[in-house]
Amino acid sequence: MSAAQPVPPEPETPEPETPEPVPPELADGRHPTNGLDETVHQRHRLGILTITAEAQRAEFGYLREALGLTAGNLSRHLTVLEGAGMVQVEKGYSGRRPRTWVRITGQGREALATELHALTELARRHTAGHGASRG
Amino acid sequence: MAEDGHEPASEAGHGENSERLGSQSDLLTEMKALRRQARAARHAYWFPLALFGLLICASIPFYGQRVPRGVGVVSLSLAGPTLPFLGGYPGFHERGYLAYYWIAALLGGLLATQLWYRWHARRVGLATPALVYLITTAVLTVAAIAVPPLLQLLHEPQILWPNDLVARGMFPFIIIAVGLLALAWAERSRALAVIAVIYAGAALLAGLYNVSNIMPGWTAAVNVLLPAAVLLLAAAGAFATQRWHRSAA
Repeated sequence: MSAAQPVPPEPETPEPETPEPVPPELADGRHPTNGLDETVHQRHRLGILTITAEAQRAEFGYLREALGLTAGNLSRHLTVLEGAGMVQVEKGYSGRRPRTWVRITGQGREALATELHALTELARRHTAGHGASRG
Repeated sequence: MAEDGHEPASEAGHGENSERLGSQSDLLTEMKALRRQARAARHAYWFPLALFGLLICASIPFYGQRVPRGVGVVSLSLAGPTLPFLGGYPGFHERGYLAYYWIAALLGGLLATQLWYRWHARRVGLATPALVYLITTAVLTVAAIAVPPLLQLLHEPQILWPNDLVARGMFPFIIIAVGLLALAWAERSRALAVIAVIYAGAALLAGLYNVSNIMPGWTAAVNVLLPAAVLLLAAAGAFATQRWHRSAA
């Protein structure tokens, strides 16, 4: 008989940035969740795209304050979006003060429109579901 | 609910899905709020409204230039000053100053507006794509200068001559109106679009009709003051609204 061996603790997994996987019963070809892009769906990255789509370009400081992020976190999200070709980051100076501007690309606009369409469709289904359960 | 106190799998799944769908709905609401907030912070159109309202007011002395005796009959020929779309109507040679005023006012106003939007972008951290507005107004101003000489090359230029629109020298008001519509598009502002349409109506009325006919006691300057008043009142309203939005944020 062998003594019970201590179970090694599971390594901590970082909090996922992407949404939970779509349940199989929803993942048919017609469900709006298929329109959700993991790069865009993350809340803060979606916020960055939403704000930059509203302006010709947005300044790093505005994004940081509007989204309530630290500079490091915002930089990380921008790197992901820039790597996916969804935003362009421009560095420059205003007088002696360094400024970083973020501009959405055509690809970013397209991804945002797809994402918002999918979310709208999901919200519509949610509302319809609630209506049906009440009825 | 099942006897063991657990919901059946399908019901539990339905609950999770409903929760997930609800969170997507919240996300959508949050994004809409971010967009609204960014738009409110970006709006800065009170300045061009005020600027062009003042520029129109400043043009009144030029409209008041007296026509020399014997030249008071409007000539329908295209001979004379070459800037009739900007107020230098053929036959009214003195109105040439008005045309020069409008060239300086329109182009200077554009430059000031461009500088304003650049300064505002640096201040709030969001830039408005004002280039569409600048290009529209600049192209119309250049066209107003270049089209009349080109029309003279035609065999019968009178066919294309917008006689009524240029007779009172108020065609520049129309150029400003079209520019403001382009700015409304750039600013994505329904309020500015409504202002631009109301102003365009006032500008057309001033260009086509003697407004003093319906406003007894007023001089002919009312034709200039009416569109200017629309812009200045709208500028005051826009300034108050934009300031309120900023302080609320």
